[in-house]
Amino acid sequence: MRSYDSKAHRHTRLRQDTQPFQRGIIRHVVLILDLSAAMAEKDMRPTRYLVTLKHATTYVREFFEQNPISQLAVMVMHDGLCHLISDLSGNPTHHITAIQSLRNPVNPRESPREPKGNPSLQNALEMARAQLYHTPSHGTREVIIILGALLSLDPGDIHKTIAACARDRLRVSIIGMSGRLKICQEICERTNSGSDASYNVALDEPHLRDLLMSTTTPPAIRSGATEGTAEDGAAGPVGASLLCMGFPSRTITDAPSLCACHGTLSRGGYTCSRCKAKLCSLPATCPACGLTLILSTHLARSYHHLFPLRNWIAVTWKRAREKGTVQCAGCLIKFPTIPMGAGVDDVGGSRRDKGKGREDEVMENGGESQEERERDQLSKELGASESSRYECEACEGHFCIDCDIFSHEQMHNCPGCLSKPAFSTVMEEDGNELANGTANGMNGLNGAS
Amino acid sequence: MNAIDGTTSSFHVRSTDAPPPSLLVIVLDTNPYAWSLLADTLPLQNVVANLLVFINAHLAINHANQVAVLASHTHCVQWLYPPPPPPLPTDSTGDVLMTEPDQPDPTPHPPTDDANKYRPFRLVEQQILSNLRSLLTSSPPSSHTTALIAGALTTAMTYISKATLLASPVAAPTHTHTTSSVLPTADAINAPADASTAHDPLSSRILIVSVSGDLAAQYIPVMNTIFAAQRNRVPIDVLKLAGDTVFLQQASDATGGVYIAPGLEVGAGKKEGEDAAVVRAQGILQYLMMGFLPDAAARKWLVLPGAEEVDFRAACFCHRKVVDIGWVCSVCLSIFCEPLPDATCLTCGTYLALPANHNVAPAVVPRKKKKKKRLPDGGTPRPGGSTPAGSTPGGGTPMR
Ligand SMILES: [Zn+2]
Ligand SMILES: [Zn+2]
Ligand SMILES: [Zn+2]
Ligand SMILES: [Zn+2]
Ligand SMILES: [Zn+2]
Ligand SMILES: [Zn+2]
Repeated sequence: MRSYDSKAHRHTRLRQDTQPFQRGIIRHVVLILDLSAAMAEKDMRPTRYLVTLKHATTYVREFFEQNPISQLAVMVMHDGLCHLISDLSGNPTHHITAIQSLRNPVNPRESPREPKGNPSLQNALEMARAQLYHTPSHGTREVIIILGALLSLDPGDIHKTIAACARDRLRVSIIGMSGRLKICQEICERTNSGSDASYNVALDEPHLRDLLMSTTTPPAIRSGATEGTAEDGAAGPVGASLLCMGFPSRTITDAPSLCACHGTLSRGGYTCSRCKAKLCSLPATCPACGLTLILSTHLARSYHHLFPLRNWIAVTWKRAREKGTVQCAGCLIKFPTIPMGAGVDDVGGSRRDKGKGREDEVMENGGESQEERERDQLSKELGASESSRYECEACEGHFCIDCDIFSHEQMHNCPGCLSKPAFSTVMEEDGNELANGTANGMNGLNGAS
Repeated sequence: MNAIDGTTSSFHVRSTDAPPPSLLVIVLDTNPYAWSLLADTLPLQNVVANLLVFINAHLAINHANQVAVLASHTHCVQWLYPPPPPPLPTDSTGDVLMTEPDQPDPTPHPPTDDANKYRPFRLVEQQILSNLRSLLTSSPPSSHTTALIAGALTTAMTYISKATLLASPVAAPTHTHTTSSVLPTADAINAPADASTAHDPLSSRILIVSVSGDLAAQYIPVMNTIFAAQRNRVPIDVLKLAGDTVFLQQASDATGGVYIAPGLEVGAGKKEGEDAAVVRAQGILQYLMMGFLPDAAARKWLVLPGAEEVDFRAACFCHRKVVDIGWVCSVCLSIFCEPLPDATCLTCGTYLALPANHNVAPAVVPRKKKKKKRLPDGGTPRPGGSTPAGSTPGGGTPMR
């Protein structure tokens, strides 16, 4: 079975994601792969090049899983040049085909591309800048570079390019493979408000994968970015705007009809919510009326970032006795029986139990500062539970560790809260307040902005 | 060690030959308001009787098959089977708790046991009927007129995730280990990979028997459960007997479940009139048996009845209204049904500029054509790949 350690670790890790803050959810990302001679090295098996291609493919899938309404472009640095292999678009298969055709070209007469020559960071940045230049101001502009080489062979002054990138509020992340380069650090610092946290060097293949996958999480919007006006354009996704979008429904007609996007005959499709033009796939812009059309499920996927589920706290024996819970409210598994006398007089409990019980009493006495209270809260959220119960403070339901992990990592819902009508009325009365034990998240969000 | 291996492998041979057991979680919408509207044509007891036949059929297919039934009521979500937890002690004196809580719920066995009935069937039927009866008789008149579908789905998903975990004790530690050692975002990569490579020890699905409409108030939690189900490859089947819910259709579409609305088939229902629709709804057992009985393994080989037309509308955050054109905050993606009065997002508080021209779509810009047009004037391939350092971006693609 699972070890105690991994569970506790997991519980600890849960904390990070429940801090609500704004994230740039509409992203425009250019992924740049190194195809220089350095990528033929075999320190990653079979070669750096093949490993990178493999992870780039997974990356595309994961990126669109996490950022369904974002756009991606893929470029390669090959023999001093930078080539665009797939345009900025929201279609994952398009990018995956492009990446795979590097080695297995669709056209049999083309020869597969093998690592060659030196990379040029300047060319790559200029090209990415051109690609991202027309993206709307409410989205992020990000460049992610996987660099195997230890040099950059540039045709001109790269510092001018870096300055131009910073001016166009590009954010560059670089994942190195060999060693740290001063120029990479400078690029990351200049384009990320002085922080070089986005420059990392992968130690081995799993590390490379982790570094790459960590960039699929929408980046936090830099502080001050939201206060900035659209005019200054210095940093962060400024110029947030209210977008008009349509949520078309899928229709099937008896007779085939022409679609507005390609002009081909088809029976099924999506009809524009405004003008009823028929489109083949979403997301898209209606060719007839220009309305942005997306599936509402694309938007809904990111709502758990907005309304994170509040952390559940470890339950002491005392509290378990108070509530008298015998089974998990989520999965009906039986909890360990409350031992005789535990939590009542601290006899028979472990030493740990005593400590917890005392903490609890202090809490109830209320004679302590806000800070102490917060620290207590923190330790409650982080610690493993002595009674194997975890309590949602909003609905006072008790859950097991597996339900805790599942609810926080995958579902982002509290089974207890949603099974009470009180919460849905709260929502109906006040659109700003949401159910699901996330009320604190909402407040935090409002306060943060 | 060898002996242990020997026994387990022999078990494995047997279990891989047989189809994997499946867990069916039925969410029964017991909204009394909605059922009272159906009382003349399709009373609750008929539906429950048909459901019991369906449950028996499910249990009969594979001896390892499991079933769980949840009632999604207007004021609570209640387990009908397995039996709900015993009532909580009202006070915290501890006296109540001294009694062994592990004891099974002492449900009185009715004397009228049918000796001809297969015992597992009878046990399930008794539990469901007695729990449903007590739920309906004990429930106070409530002011809430919608069923708590989000709560029932959430509970069903936690139950399924635990059942899956218990069914695969070997796979569990590796899974936790990998996911806990990497960054949170990589979970999504691991989860599907694990699910697809490992032999499914238990295939689960959810069937919602829904009669009430208006789920807009539960939009976000329902969507969250849809994504959780999608990620865990749990199809959500929907049997829609009455009412109109946009989001259940999206649920079955997104998770690859079956959506059948016998009484509500728009085109056919209108042509044949109300009576035909009612008659179709009364043939509920046939819908259950034909549409919902095959499990995930069997469905691969079947052409499933599906709603080809799916309503993808969303609910606005401000009034919980179902909309097909909405205003979306570019920072947090909250949906509003009308432009905001003070241009400030109600959810995240960001100041939102209204685009000068509403019709200009900012998020998705077709780019391909522009690029091709620009190529001839600015983008001649340069040997050596040098870029003019001062080239203005957007003035052409300098490198090719
Ligand atoms: Zn088309
Ligand atoms: Zn249109
Ligand atoms: Zn549980
Ligand atoms: Zn709760
Ligand atoms: Zn509204
Ligand atoms: Zn917002």
